[in-house]
Amino acid sequence: MIRLVLFKELVDHWRDLRSVTGSLVLAVMGPLLLFGLFQIVQNLEKERPLDVPVVGAEQAPHLIQHLVANGVHVLPPPPDPEALVRKGDADMVLVIDDHYAERYKASQLARVRLIVDDSRNESHKNVRRVERILLGYTQGLGALRLMARGVSPQAATPLALEELDLATPQKLAANLLSMVPLFLMLAALVGGMNLAIDSTAGERERGSLEPLLLNPVSRRSLVLGKWLATAFASMIVALLTLVGLTLTIQHLPLEQLGMKVALGPKEAGLILAALLPLTLFGAAVQMLIATFARSFKEAQTYLGLLNLVPMVPAMFLMMGSTQNAWWMYPLPTVAQVTVVVSVLRGDVIPGWQLLVIALSSLLYSALCVVVIERLLGRERIIFGR
Amino acid sequence: MIEIEGLEKRYGAVHAVQGVSFRADDGKITGLLGPNGAGKTTTLRMLSSLVQPDAGRALVDGIDVRREPRQALRRLGMLPDSRGLYPRLTGREHLAYFGGLQGLGAPEIEQRTRELAELLDMTELLDRRVAGFSQGERTKVAIARALVHGPPNIVLDEATNGLDVMSTRAMRTVIRKLADSGCCVLFSSHVMQEVSALCDRIVVFARGKVVSDGTPAELRARTGEDNLENAFVKIIGTDVGLE
Repeated sequence: MIRLVLFKELVDHWRDLRSVTGSLVLAVMGPLLLFGLFQIVQNLEKERPLDVPVVGAEQAPHLIQHLVANGVHVLPPPPDPEALVRKGDADMVLVIDDHYAERYKASQLARVRLIVDDSRNESHKNVRRVERILLGYTQGLGALRLMARGVSPQAATPLALEELDLATPQKLAANLLSMVPLFLMLAALVGGMNLAIDSTAGERERGSLEPLLLNPVSRRSLVLGKWLATAFASMIVALLTLVGLTLTIQHLPLEQLGMKVALGPKEAGLILAALLPLTLFGAAVQMLIATFARSFKEAQTYLGLLNLVPMVPAMFLMMGSTQNAWWMYPLPTVAQVTVVVSVLRGDVIPGWQLLVIALSSLLYSALCVVVIERLLGRERIIFGR
Repeated sequence: MIEIEGLEKRYGAVHAVQGVSFRADDGKITGLLGPNGAGKTTTLRMLSSLVQPDAGRALVDGIDVRREPRQALRRLGMLPDSRGLYPRLTGREHLAYFGGLQGLGAPEIEQRTRELAELLDMTELLDRRVAGFSQGERTKVAIARALVHGPPNIVLDEATNGLDVMSTRAMRTVIRKLADSGCCVLFSSHVMQEVSALCDRIVVFARGKVVSDGTPAELRARTGEDNLENAFVKIIGTDVGLE
């Protein structure tokens, strides 16, 4: 009887094109999103060429030498420097004052002007680099002049400012990878959501629950069949997402970023072993909630909120990498995040942890099944309120 | 045979069913007539074991529904008040699912499907998905689904609701055939014409009670009315909720 119900629900669900494509899109979306974001991070890292048109370069051959030596690609002067920057054709234009040469020789204040457009984010990095090169030039030149007059350059530089930039691509990549557990858990819950609703609140809403209960079949068989069908749909989506993420991560140039992420078939298998119990438990909870809901729509609202629950442990474990503790394993979602993070880090997962995850999820599922079974004996649930 | 003995059901302050007793014999069509809200559907739900009575009992072929619900349900084919179908399944798949739930094997299901398709004139509905069906077509599938296990006792709650004239006439013929084959048919309706055209015996419900029980001739004699419809109105005391 259980198999009969299971089979019917799966056939019925499989023909529900909209919800099937919906969950398949989700399974593809995670890996694609990860891949796309990685490309963006990589592009950030590629430096824009440091092209700087210079007006009046002939005035300051020594300065130009310094710029070229620091990697600046000096271009000939444009006819209208300001228009060029405003249009975004150049990140900046360096204008050297007409009196630069004579003032420079007389050790007077010589002016240079950097024309920039501060509203263009993409040019900020290059502008800052050129500014630093110019600052370095003026400081070096000043120091030489002081020394020529017998003064220590340190007297004129009270502060030595150093900056250490931590926004390395490794860091960004690590942040992206921490999305992986979240994708996986979402997949383990979303795949069966529609089936959970359709076979409980939906069954009552379309008026097929009463005829169904008029068969000489135990409530338990009906609930078990529906539960297994829901869990199966979730497992398919979770499996597809896991395969997609594994392939994606294997093809990402993590090595170039100096990162080591272990994710081969063996690691994917461990993650799957932690995810499958979640699909079983998730399916049972979704059915329980949907059985209480007064309508299909109401159930969708509740289950939509339920899908947000795993984000909480995921966020916590992402931010503070707390020590793994025993109490995490009997807690669905917390356990899965812990396992996924540990596996990606290359840690060993002891068998007892997976066993605790499986047994605890089965226990909670059994409780849910018993409660749903009881609910299906109540008039208020069978006939609606 | 269906026996209802002193059924009682209260919902808070509402005394929905008050000591209802009647019997439906094999080979006969027994009609339950009464306005909407008279307690017919609640009584049938207690008969189908989905609602627990506060007192009294319902027997199907002598089996107490409350004590042995599954045994009773095997001998009962019921078209309940709600008769939703699965829009993505075909007619044949509905019969296969419910036949399976009734414990039939594949060959039996196939044979019953053929028989019911002929009986209900629904062969062309078997391999189409239910989603686009008309009201009448849906009712046919729902009835076939209720009869797939060949039950000796058949309960139809408002079976002709929403059917057009032709379908209603066809349905009457089917119900008559079922009774003639020896089945006990219990037919509930709030439509006087339906009941008077079809039933061998009529149980009249009003305000949660059975107010009259007998053959059409007996009802006419008891009220002194020649016309069965006038007799009903006289028995119930009003024609509110009847058609």
